[in-house]
Amino acid sequence: MRSLRAFVLGAVALGLLAYVAAAVVAFAAQADGRALDVSLGPLVFVAVVPNGSTTSATFGGGLALVALVGGAANLAAAALIRRRRPPGDRLD
Amino acid sequence: MIASADRLLLAPGVVLEDGHLADEVRGERWPLNAAGTFVLTRSGSRVGQIVDELGAAFGLSEAQARADVLQFTWLLNGLALVNLERRDRRFGRLVEWIALAARLAPSGAWPAAVASRRAVDTTTTFRSLATSLAAVWSRAAVVALAAALVVAQFVAVIGAAAAAYPLAVGLGTGIGIGVHEAAHVIALRGVPSAIVLHGRRLFVLHARVESNRRLTVALAGPVGAVAAGLGFAALGVVAGAPQLALVGVPMVAHALALTVACGDGRVACGL
Repeated sequence: MRSLRAFVLGAVALGLLAYVAAAVVAFAAQADGRALDVSLGPLVFVAVVPNGSTTSATFGGGLALVALVGGAANLAAAALIRRRRPPGDRLD
Repeated sequence: MIASADRLLLAPGVVLEDGHLADEVRGERWPLNAAGTFVLTRSGSRVGQIVDELGAAFGLSEAQARADVLQFTWLLNGLALVNLERRDRRFGRLVEWIALAARLAPSGAWPAAVASRRAVDTTTTFRSLATSLAAVWSRAAVVALAAALVVAQFVAVIGAAAAAYPLAVGLGTGIGIGVHEAAHVIALRGVPSAIVLHGRRLFVLHARVESNRRLTVALAGPVGAVAAGLGFAALGVVAGAPQLALVGVPMVAHALALTVACGDGRVACGL
């Protein structure tokens, strides 16, 4: 249960921050009428493409990956902290 | 740094009772020896004056009295039981700090930070909000200025069109700190609490609460700041103002406090 909580909190934290940061950057680019492409090879994080009078913004799978990596990193760090504690201090 | 001109004060919520030092926030009291009682009954006096009086009363040399008073003061200040009130100007303190840091640099040490404990009133939601914001505003302003200056470096490269961005990031950083701590204090309604600033650390000291309440209090800070940040971001999008939306990003970054990298996250993860 604690492992699940650590994973969920890490995923929510990193995922939410990445998504909001991407949304604000995309919104700023859209307001300026500029194109934007934040990607790592085939992995797209956010892309803004102006099409004449309209603009399309895409939030790619990269953001979901950031959330997964955040959850995994938090889970690993929590496990490491638990293991380093003196045995008498462990709660589980 | 502790200077002779600094005034030693019992922290808010800390009192002397029958030869004991009592902390109503922690709900604990500690016995004092004669010298400890002598020092703390002079709460409000300058440290230099207390050193002189202790030396005269206990027949100590000035060096011994100073060492005793400073050791005792550092110990209690580290536990947020006494505050040190400084009369000199902030700029003068900054110059002194830089000079001391330069002297300590060869040893790889920093000047020790002095803790400051500030009272908060948790009797009502409004009082919790008002007193916690009053307690943290100075720290929030400094961090906000630092964040704005860092962003300004990048903006200088991008160009003048983005001149409002450092202001937006600074504003979001400052508001985020205020909302974060205020949300913790609001969640502690009815529980004796205080806000402590110690070096780069800023935390809420509170009486012991049961585990579910502790989890709620830990989550309240980051969740409050993130909710406020999402509000700013949404408002910016609706109003068509990217700068306003940007104010929300540093506040949403408080979500990172839900991870084990921060104290709130460690409590939330059951560590």
